[in-house]
Amino acid sequence: MLRIEAAYKSFDGFIAVNGSHLSVEKGEVVAVIGPNGAGKTTLFNLITGQLIPDKGKILFKDENIAGLPPYKICRKGISRSFQIVNIFNRLTVFENVQIAVLSHQKKTFNLFFPAKNLAISKTRDILDSVGLIDKAGHISGTLSHGDQKVLEMAIALGNKPELLILDEPTAGMSPEETAFTLSLMKKLSGELGLTILFCEHDMELVFSIARKIMVMQQGSTIIQGNPDEVKNNRQVQDAYLGGSDECFK
Amino acid sequence: MFSGLTNRRTLGFCIVFFILLLFLPLFLPRFYIYLLALIFVTGLLATSLNLVLGFGGMYQFHHAVFYGVGAYAFALFSKKTGLSPWLGYILAPAIAALVGMVMGLITVRLSKLYFGMLQLSLGSLVWAIVFRWYSFTGGDDGIHGISVPDMISSTTGSYYFTLIVTTVCLILMYMIVNSPFGRTFQGIRDNPERTEAVGVDVKRHQLAGLVIASAFAGVAGSLFATVEECAFPDLLFWTLSLELIIMCLLGGWFIFMGPMLGSAIIVILRTFVGIYTEYWTLILGIVLMLLILFLPEGVLGYFQEKFSKSKNAALVEN
Amino acid sequence: MEFASNITIAAIFQQVLVGLSRTTILFIVASGLSLVLGVLRIPNVAHGSLYMIGAFLAYTIATLFGGGTAGFWLALIIAPLGVALISFIAERGLFCHLYEREHLMLLLFTFSFTLVFGDLVKLVWGSDYRSLSAPVFMQGSFSIFDLPFPRYNLFLLVIGPLVALGLWFLTNKTKIGKIARAAAVDREMVGAVGINVSRVFAAVFVIGCFLAGLGGALVAPTQNITQGMDHAIIIEAFLIVIIGGLGNMWGALLGALIFGLTDSMGILLWPQFAIVFPYIAVIIVLLFRPKGLLKSTW
Repeated sequence: MLRIEAAYKSFDGFIAVNGSHLSVEKGEVVAVIGPNGAGKTTLFNLITGQLIPDKGKILFKDENIAGLPPYKICRKGISRSFQIVNIFNRLTVFENVQIAVLSHQKKTFNLFFPAKNLAISKTRDILDSVGLIDKAGHISGTLSHGDQKVLEMAIALGNKPELLILDEPTAGMSPEETAFTLSLMKKLSGELGLTILFCEHDMELVFSIARKIMVMQQGSTIIQGNPDEVKNNRQVQDAYLGGSDECFK
Repeated sequence: MFSGLTNRRTLGFCIVFFILLLFLPLFLPRFYIYLLALIFVTGLLATSLNLVLGFGGMYQFHHAVFYGVGAYAFALFSKKTGLSPWLGYILAPAIAALVGMVMGLITVRLSKLYFGMLQLSLGSLVWAIVFRWYSFTGGDDGIHGISVPDMISSTTGSYYFTLIVTTVCLILMYMIVNSPFGRTFQGIRDNPERTEAVGVDVKRHQLAGLVIASAFAGVAGSLFATVEECAFPDLLFWTLSLELIIMCLLGGWFIFMGPMLGSAIIVILRTFVGIYTEYWTLILGIVLMLLILFLPEGVLGYFQEKFSKSKNAALVEN
Repeated sequence: MEFASNITIAAIFQQVLVGLSRTTILFIVASGLSLVLGVLRIPNVAHGSLYMIGAFLAYTIATLFGGGTAGFWLALIIAPLGVALISFIAERGLFCHLYEREHLMLLLFTFSFTLVFGDLVKLVWGSDYRSLSAPVFMQGSFSIFDLPFPRYNLFLLVIGPLVALGLWFLTNKTKIGKIARAAAVDREMVGAVGINVSRVFAAVFVIGCFLAGLGGALVAPTQNITQGMDHAIIIEAFLIVIIGGLGNMWGALLGALIFGLTDSMGILLWPQFAIVFPYIAVIIVLLFRPKGLLKSTW
């Protein structure tokens, strides 16, 4: 479904993504791991168009999407959440998700029909599935950090994606919230059959859900394989598991 | 189509207020009727600015240009052609929207301050042309003695015309703000990056917003030309644009009626302070300073903030 | 439409010199604006008012000292210092509390100063035109290819490079300049290494405003000193800063050159619409380089 071939991205001489490759098949849950600064977020930004790769191909359903603007990539079926909470602060929780749903339904140029009456059931369904329905009327900027992270994911679901990309979905969450997010991801992949690509520092979470794991270091792909392969890989062990890297604690 | 746009109480209040305004000319002196018409015009203009400024988060630093263009389009049409002046009311917003689109095509590529500055420079270019093109625009003298349709040429007539057009425009703008477009626009204001990530072509929406706002500013311009029966280059000068921003700020730019209230306060203050002193801008400056220091959310915004705690919980009816 | 018919090499040369002396004024004012915008992130609309106050102050000081040569030199020194003092009070009293506000608020706040200063100038100096004459040895003109060129403009042509050099020295060779440049790039970092950023900001603000006052004092002998000269200059200064690259000193020079020269060439080509030429130049520049010609500190 998604294939990245030899992607490069550098900033002012600093190479953030260095010939990385990755493949995600339909229905899979794939994790990208690696230390801080390995280039995971940059890689995601390349996929969803926030950044344009210097070189390399990004194929989504066999079509090269490298260099397309984010909105076009989103319309092709890739949605994402952001590592740092990136929501519509002054709008209510309901409106946050509704914007994505309206965008998906191509109604954003509708000028005179009250938005209040549109896309209600879709939006409510999504809020229901992520457990935010009780807070639908709250101004999103006033939510707790954990709720905002969940809202992040809910907005991404509004576009009815085929591929969902989550950038550290549990960053800054309490253990309970992390457990909830994990169950949510399992539900999305299991019940809805969503393809999920995510990066995460919580190894327990990664190994409990990911079918495939890609390890990044200094912008390059070390290995991509199933969890056992990754665990037993010499290079990965040398680089991380043997060391005291904080992300493997 | 209108259902769910507003709650009963607000709607009722608006209708009563509108009816009150309809009857005012029966007992108010002429000067006050004229003043009210001026408030409607300025309020309409400020509301149109707030469409992009408060709801779109765009630094529209030179909105007065479209007001001036609307006024000049109406004035020149009625002066230079023999056609019915009524057509001018269609032409004015159309020309203003066209100018808005041309400027927008150049400026929307830029963000925030750069956008505002380029808007300011393009607007100043339009001002300079109007200011210098004596043979066409009358230069710094402007255009006087515009012929207005007889029906609305009296003070009362122009009052009713202004009231009705302003009301219709406000309803239209209110609908736009609450439409999917308006919702998306507010999303862009809060977070353009995220809006683009959910599949919205941000630049196209911003361009559309600019064109809509300029069209309404053009309507306001034609109304001004109707009330004052003249047009002059100061209508396009950048200081007026910043005063409009003050009006939005004063009333509260996250609230639909905020700019209307703000312009009412400013127009009334200017008129009555002007009677006692020629140093009106000094007072305006001090008001603005205090506002920024102590009431950054505006007058209406302040009250909304105060009462929003209890309101927040009641919003869940959705 | 009446195009000037006598476009000769001499006339072009004359207009280039006129444009360059205009450039001097524009550069001095715009560089001050750029400094404040680049380091403090304040789009200071009141910069134009300070320029106007500089011109009026220069007039008053020169008149107080009898209007002679000594009066002129004193005016040239004291007027900008007076403006700097006003800005110092404003910065310490008000602006320093507002640095964290968003740009729009800062812009409006400085606009409130424009409104207040505009009326205060009217209150102090009245609404009449004032004029200040240059010292005797700078009065009159000499001829270049049989066309007159004012002596005072030659003086401006000398002053311009001097100010540029002084600014270069200040930003590159002095401690405060280096700190200010670092703060323009990363404010927190500079604060984190234990430098009193607030004091540096105050100094930069005052220097920027000093330049506005200097521009006003220098322009005084070349034109009428009037209400409204603040409104005209500030837009020009902003455009210069934008096309040059926000916060870039050489950008301000480049922008001022473009503005000054297109303006003077416009006078030669099509006097009625000369005012339009610089704006068109700005639009063309921004179409191709939306963030300005040189590297911005933003």
